[in-house]
Amino acid sequence: MGHLDDLQALLGPDRVTVDRFALHLYSKDAGASVGAADVVVFPDTAAEVAGVVRIAAQHGIPIVPRGAGTGLAAGAVPDTGGIVVSTKRMDQIHEVDPDNQTAWVGPGVINLDLSVATSRYGLHFAPDPSSQAVCTIGGNVANNSGGPHCLAEGSTVAHILAVETVLADGQVITFGSAAPDPIGLDLRGVIVGSEGTLGIVTKALVRLMPNPPAVRTMLLAFPTVDAAAATVSDVIAAGVVPAALEMMDQRMAIAVENWLHAGLPTDAAALLLAEVVGEEAAVDSEAAVIQRVGEECGASSIRLAATEEERAVLWKGRKSAFGAVAQAAPDYYLHDTVVPRTRLVETLAEIYAIADRYDLVMMNVFHAGDGNLHPLIAFDASDPDEASRVHRAAEEMVKACVTRGGVLSGEHGIGLEKRDLMPLMFSAVDLDAQARLRESFDPAGVFNPTKVLPLGSRCFDLGSRPVPDGAWV
Amino acid sequence: MTRNDATGQEATLAPDVPVTTPSNVDELAEILAAASREETPLGIWGSGSHRQIGHLPSVQRVVSTAGLTGIVDWQPDDLTVVVRAGTPVAELEAELAAGGQSAVLPEQSGAATVGGVVATGISALARLRYGPTRDRMLQVQAVTGDGRIVQGGGRVVKNVSGYDLPRLYTGSLGSLGVITEVCFKLWPVPPAACTVEVDDVPPAGLVYRPRAVLQTQDGVRVLLSGTRAEIDDQASRLGGTVVEGLQYPEPLEGEVVWSVRVPPKRLAEAVDRLPHGSAFVAQHGVGEVSFAAPGSFDIMDLRTWAESEGGSVVKMAGESSQDPWGSPPPDLDLQRRVIAAFDPCRILEPGRLPGGL
Repeated sequence: MGHLDDLQALLGPDRVTVDRFALHLYSKDAGASVGAADVVVFPDTAAEVAGVVRIAAQHGIPIVPRGAGTGLAAGAVPDTGGIVVSTKRMDQIHEVDPDNQTAWVGPGVINLDLSVATSRYGLHFAPDPSSQAVCTIGGNVANNSGGPHCLAEGSTVAHILAVETVLADGQVITFGSAAPDPIGLDLRGVIVGSEGTLGIVTKALVRLMPNPPAVRTMLLAFPTVDAAAATVSDVIAAGVVPAALEMMDQRMAIAVENWLHAGLPTDAAALLLAEVVGEEAAVDSEAAVIQRVGEECGASSIRLAATEEERAVLWKGRKSAFGAVAQAAPDYYLHDTVVPRTRLVETLAEIYAIADRYDLVMMNVFHAGDGNLHPLIAFDASDPDEASRVHRAAEEMVKACVTRGGVLSGEHGIGLEKRDLMPLMFSAVDLDAQARLRESFDPAGVFNPTKVLPLGSRCFDLGSRPVPDGAWV
Repeated sequence: MTRNDATGQEATLAPDVPVTTPSNVDELAEILAAASREETPLGIWGSGSHRQIGHLPSVQRVVSTAGLTGIVDWQPDDLTVVVRAGTPVAELEAELAAGGQSAVLPEQSGAATVGGVVATGISALARLRYGPTRDRMLQVQAVTGDGRIVQGGGRVVKNVSGYDLPRLYTGSLGSLGVITEVCFKLWPVPPAACTVEVDDVPPAGLVYRPRAVLQTQDGVRVLLSGTRAEIDDQASRLGGTVVEGLQYPEPLEGEVVWSVRVPPKRLAEAVDRLPHGSAFVAQHGVGEVSFAAPGSFDIMDLRTWAESEGGSVVKMAGESSQDPWGSPPPDLDLQRRVIAAFDPCRILEPGRLPGGL
């Protein structure tokens, strides 16, 4: 029997599709890469996922796990064909445990739905990527997603206590637990952020955070990008770690304002959106520190959201920014790199210079507090010359960040997009170690085989022993 | 108890084992490569303060990290520090405190080194507020069993480039290599702190995210930090007696110290199940209670219960004939393969982990 027959025998005809339109939809994510899915399956349970994995292994076909497909690094793109495993039907919130402040959820649960469902207990799921209204917890786990509020709360990995995972041999194992510090190696921590290359997570135990009693959200406008970036560094240096600290440049503010009419000042060179949370007695003094630092750095205006509605509008302006770009050009390329926040000013200057050099329209809206840049290039993909310039500029921007002590990706992942840039950050020995780790999970290379690590990373094959810098003969 | 001595020469666990103290990472790599070739089992020594965690491996030689010390790079405005593994935690924290920052590592770490705390995965009491040690890990450098110098992660506070080796190394007890250098995420030290002694564990939500809620045989205390106005307000809501500063309970002393780890809502029950009259420190909201017991205390009933709740009972200090870990985790085969990827000849602390890995 072929793999299609096997899949249909396992899942029935309705949850196995080779429909041309469906295959097209499941062959790309929110980024630019396009693959070609052979078949898309929609399992309901871990046992069914395990069955799919066994069939794939038997027939030597790769598996590409997929949540909502909002990724930008092509992690969910079936570039070498294979079986796309959609987690969308595993969308149950199995159990909310307010006493433990945890919940067991299916990977297909939408990020925002979880926080809505737990709000009656005064709890929320802290990671809040801009795509949170559509992206799934499974996707967040796969990419170790961030969002504005991971400045103070950490990325997804800090909020995942356990993962039920289907391994390459079809075993279903739960890594981690609601109890602290499970014994043995912390494989939970390495499965989170592994971009679907180590297994398929079929259930996650998430940590829920108490909703803060008080919130202050403020918008600061600056005459220069440098002044805004200096404010970011100085606020941290003053001992305040805000819940979120987001920056938007003038071009982006104009695009958002045209679209949303959120009252953003469009005459400023840069805007900062700052939020502090905590006890009522703490937030005012922290907000005052941000205000003082902003003034010292030359803020032209500072506005404190007076009501919850005003706060919501400010956040809507931030989180809808990428939608607003559609006015500027039909396509956009959204970048994700990180630099030490002390190098923000010079890195931003360099990134603007790169965009100018390639004659590209670039805007910036990003997580300034943790140095996580999101240069966004608006372009027309039907113009091959422009598309090529976008890619060359993007690569230069990554290099500009890495040479300043930064990293390739802060929250979007490596996928295919940055796979071949990994040697910028890691030595051959480092990449080989990562490849060995991956091999220990998935020796046959069933899961998302072309993603994350450059081909040939397992460079010390064939029984030869590694020789780092002539350490031994 | 083990002597906290970086030379390791008087370690009760390895009294006559020769100690090698490499002065740099390359030297360490050569030592490990040679040991792998010769299949010589090695122990790894920071200060010896956590030596009694896990099974006692039989080793022919000890590698000390005492020659790998010091802060490599501290970027206060980036809230990051890179530090060599042999540096005592207390020394690192003292230096950071002078700049108003902290890595939020174990507060009562004695002579423990950075490498030891990371390798054992021990966390600060303030983990209720700041998360466990593993969430402070941004970058790790280690030398694998066969002498490869491997680095994972990055020196920025947010990073998803490649697999999360920094977290994988946390709690790996030497099985993946000798940790040589770590980059931690830092936190500013809040301007004010106090300890409030109360009669009972306060209900969740009475104060927003305290540093710690600790219960001992003598009562309950809530550790608070923040702005002056904030902690004064929190203290008045809690009632009880306010003492300035962060007052930690006395470290536990006894023949054996066990740690019971259960889902947080089961902690009160765990405390009730402790042997009558034991000295203990329970971390509410975290789900861990450590207690001192005589060597003769039979851990079985407590362990069976904790494991049925999805938790564990682990030996933290002292000598005991009972299993230091309890039932091995369900992913033992995979753990074995992961370890083989980093220590193919299995020379580093062999057998120390659960399941004798």
